[in-house]
Amino acid sequence: MGKTIITVDDASTMRKMISFTLKAAGHEILEAGDGVEALTTLKDRSVDLVITDVNMPNMDGITLTRNLRASQLHQKTPIILLTTESSPEKKAEGKAAGATGWVVKPFQQEQLLAVVAKVLGI
Amino acid sequence: MPTNDELQQQLIKDLLIESAEGLDRFDREMLSLEKGEGQPETLNVVFRAIHTIKGTAGCLGLSKVESVAHVGENLLDAVRSGKLSLTQEMIGTLLCYADALREILKCLESTGNEGDKDYSALLQKLQEHQVARTTEATTPEACPAKAETSASPTWGLFDDDPLPVLSPKPESSLPASPPTRTPTAAESGPEREPAMKGPSVSDSAIRVSVDQLDKLMNLVGELVLARNQIVQYSGLIQDNSLIAASQRLNIITTELQEGVMKTRMQPIGNVWTKFPRVVRDVAHELGKKVQLVMQGNETELDRTIIEAIKDPLTHIVRNAIDHGIEMPEARAVAGKPGEGTLLLRAFHEGGQVNIEIMDDGRGMHVAKLKEKAMQKLMITAEQASRMSDREALNLIFLPGFSTAEKITNVSGRGVGMDVVKTNIEKIGGSVDILSEPNSGTTIKIKIPLTLAIIPALVVTSGGERFAIPQVSLLELVRLESDQALKGIQMLSGSPVYRLRGQLLPLCYLNKELEIEAPASSAPQGQSTTAPSSRTSDAVNIVILQADGRQFGLVVDEINDTEEIVVKPLSKQLKGLTCFAGATIMGDGRVALILDVLGLAQHANVINEVRDRSMGDKSKSGSGNTNKQTLLLFDVGKGSRLAIPLSMVARLEEFPRDRIEHSGTHRVVQYRGLILPLIRVADYVTAHGVAEEESPDIIQVVVYSEEGRSVGLVVGSISDIVEEVVNVRRDARGQGILGSAVIQDRITDLLDVSAIIQAADPNFYSQKPALELVA
Repeated sequence: MGKTIITVDDASTMRKMISFTLKAAGHEILEAGDGVEALTTLKDRSVDLVITDVNMPNMDGITLTRNLRASQLHQKTPIILLTTESSPEKKAEGKAAGATGWVVKPFQQEQLLAVVAKVLGI
Repeated sequence: MPTNDELQQQLIKDLLIESAEGLDRFDREMLSLEKGEGQPETLNVVFRAIHTIKGTAGCLGLSKVESVAHVGENLLDAVRSGKLSLTQEMIGTLLCYADALREILKCLESTGNEGDKDYSALLQKLQEHQVARTTEATTPEACPAKAETSASPTWGLFDDDPLPVLSPKPESSLPASPPTRTPTAAESGPEREPAMKGPSVSDSAIRVSVDQLDKLMNLVGELVLARNQIVQYSGLIQDNSLIAASQRLNIITTELQEGVMKTRMQPIGNVWTKFPRVVRDVAHELGKKVQLVMQGNETELDRTIIEAIKDPLTHIVRNAIDHGIEMPEARAVAGKPGEGTLLLRAFHEGGQVNIEIMDDGRGMHVAKLKEKAMQKLMITAEQASRMSDREALNLIFLPGFSTAEKITNVSGRGVGMDVVKTNIEKIGGSVDILSEPNSGTTIKIKIPLTLAIIPALVVTSGGERFAIPQVSLLELVRLESDQALKGIQMLSGSPVYRLRGQLLPLCYLNKELEIEAPASSAPQGQSTTAPSSRTSDAVNIVILQADGRQFGLVVDEINDTEEIVVKPLSKQLKGLTCFAGATIMGDGRVALILDVLGLAQHANVINEVRDRSMGDKSKSGSGNTNKQTLLLFDVGKGSRLAIPLSMVARLEEFPRDRIEHSGTHRVVQYRGLILPLIRVADYVTAHGVAEEESPDIIQVVVYSEEGRSVGLVVGSISDIVEEVVNVRRDARGQGILGSAVIQDRITDLLDVSAIIQAADPNFYSQKPALELVA
C-alpha cells in the first residue's frame, strides 16, 4: 500500500531524486525545502514517514526532528536523517533528537528503498 | 542508478543549475570573508554550497565532482567548526577550487562526462592547508574518509543499532568531529534566530522554465495585436458599450503585458555577481588595488537583454581596471588613494535602463586619442583639429583602435570597444563616454527594457506601411510644397535638408526600397526636385538617428505611433539589412519594421568619411554646450512663449467638438485614455489676452511624465529653435520662468510644472516638482 512520505532537502535535485524513487515504489510524496517549510506543511497533517537532510538553511534536520517530536501529531512518525557526516556524534545527536534512522549520502536507490521498507514495515 | 536515462539527464541538468547558483554564492561569500566582512553564518553558507553539490553529485554517480568537492568540504568544515582559521592564502586556493568545480561541471554539461583533467595538485594544496594548520590532524582526509564511507554501513535504524552515545571512536579522524564540539549555528538548537524568519523563499517563489515564459510573452504579443484591432474597430463604430468594453480590454491587456514582462525580468545583479571575482582577479594580476562599488543591483531587465549585455559589461569592467585605474604608486603621485574605485550603477530612467561604469583612474587625454587615430590613419589632421572632445572620446569605439601601450593579457586583444558598442546597439541601446584626464572615465550605457514590444512610428510609403522604432526617431518635419522646393537642396548630387542650421542627408524610402507610389501620385525618385507625397505636394521627413548620426527619411505619409509586437523575419528574409522584423497592424495586415541603421547604410547617408567631414553636425550631439531646443508658440495675439522641446511628448490637433467634461476639468479622449486639458492662457498673467476662439481645431501640446499626460491648449505653434538661451529672471510672473531673446524677439519661458500644479494639484503628488532647466 502506498504511504505518504515527505522529503525535506534544500537541494531540489536531491528532492526530485528521492521523490522519483519513492513514487516509483507507489508512495505519495510531499516536498519541503528546509525545516521551516516542512513544519509549515506538517502543521495540520500527518505523514507516514519523514526523510530529511541534516544540513539545511533556516532550520536543520535535527532541529526539525526535535520540533516534530514535540508535536502531538508527529510523536510517533518515523524520521530518517540523510547525512554525509557519518560520524557517530551526528548519529548520536540525531538519536537524541528522536530520529528513527539514518542514511549516509551518497546512497543508492536500493538502499533508500530498503530503509524505507524497513521503517514502514512493508 | 536511476531507472531511466532521461531522469538521470534531467537530474544532472538540475544539479548543474543548482551548483552554478551555489558556486556563485560561494564566490560572493568568500570575497566578503576575504574583506573581513563575513558574518558567523557566512561560513555555513559557504560550507553548505559545497556540501549540497557533493551530496547530490554523489547520488547521481558523479564521482569526480563528489571527490573534488569532498576535499574542500573537509577544509571548510574544519574552518567552520573553529579548528582552523581562514587565511587569505586559503581563500585564494578555495576560489581556485570553486573554479575547478565549475570546470568539471561545465565539461559535464557540454560533453556529458566529467572530463579527465587532473586536479590532484589543487587538492593536495587544499589538504596541505588543513595539515599545516590542524594540529591534531593525522592524515589528509580525502581518500581515507571515502574509504570509510563505503566500508561502514550506509544506513541503519537507531533501535537495532545501539550506538554508543557520545563516545568517539579513536580511529575517526574526521575534522567534522572535534572532541569538544561547539555547536555551530546551522546545527544547534531551536532557539536559532533564522528559524524565526517568515516562510522561506522556496515557499513563495517557484522556478518556471524560460520556454514557458517565452510562450506566454508570445501570447501576450498576440493579445496586444488583437487589442489594437479591436480598439481601432471600436473607433469606427460609434457604439458606447463596445467602446467601454474595448477600453477595459485595453487597460487589462496593458497590465497583463507589464505583468508578463515583469516575470521575464531579472535583476541586473545576476550579471554583476561575477564582477567582484573579475575585479579581484584582474586587479591581482596587474598588481593594482581596486574597490568595486555596485549600486542598483535590483534594477530589472528583460532576460534576453541581460544575456546580451553580459559580455560587453565584462569587457568594459576589465578595460577600466586595465587602462583606467593606475598602479598604486602612480595614484599616490597623483594625490589619489592607492586603492582605485570602480563604480557600477544601474537605474531606470524614462523607460530605459541606464548603466554607468565609473572609474577614478587616469582618464583619457583627448589629444592622445586624436594622435593615435591619426597614426592609424583613421582620421586626417584636419578632421582631428575640428573634432569636438566628445567626438574624440568616441574614437575608442572605432574598430581597431586601442590606446594601450602594451597589449596585456587582460585587455587589448583586438576585440575592442567597437565590439562592445556594436553589441549594445544591436539591442537598441547606446553607449556614451565621458572622461576627464586624471579624474577618471565614465561609460554610460542606455538600453531598452525589452525587445519584444516596442513603441514605433507607422508611416506609409508607396502604398505600404512601415514601422520605425521610436528609439531612433528624433522628430518629424513636414514641408509644404513651396517650402520643400526651397528647403531641400542638392549637395554633390545628394539631397540634403537644412534643419535649424544643420545639414541633414536625405533618403527617399520609395527609392531605397524600389517601391512605386500609387499611380495617383507624381513619379518618384527624381531627387533633383523634391519628390511629391501621396496626399499633397507636401514632403514628410522623418528625422532619424543611427549610430549617433542623423539623417532624414522622406516618406509619403505619417500615420501614427503605436505599440508594436516585434516578430522576427523568417530565415529567407533575414539577409535583408533594411528590415528589422515584421509586425501585425491593427487591421490585421502585416507591416515591415525598418532597421534604421541598415537602411542608412544601404542609402549611404551615414557613410563614415562623408559624415565626419560634415563639420557642423557635431554640435547637435555635444552635450556640453548650453544650447536648448525650444518649442515656440503663442496663446493669442502678441504673446510669444517657449518651452523646452524635451518636455513635449507630442503636438496634437483636436476638433473643438471632441472636448468633453469630467468634473470641472475639460478633457479629450486620447489614445483610449482621458487627457485633461489646461488652457495656458488662463494661467499666464503676462498674457491677459483671451484665447482666440479658433473655429474648429484646438492646438494641444501633450506633456507626459511618469505615464501621465496633460494637454496644454495653446493658440498656435510657430517654430522649433535651437539656441543658447540667456534667461532674465526679473520678468518672472505667474506661470512664467523668465524671458529671453529668441530669434530677435522677446519670448517668455513657460513654467510648465507651476501651471500643471495650479490646474491639477494632484499631478505631482507622487513626486517632487520637476525642475525646469532654463
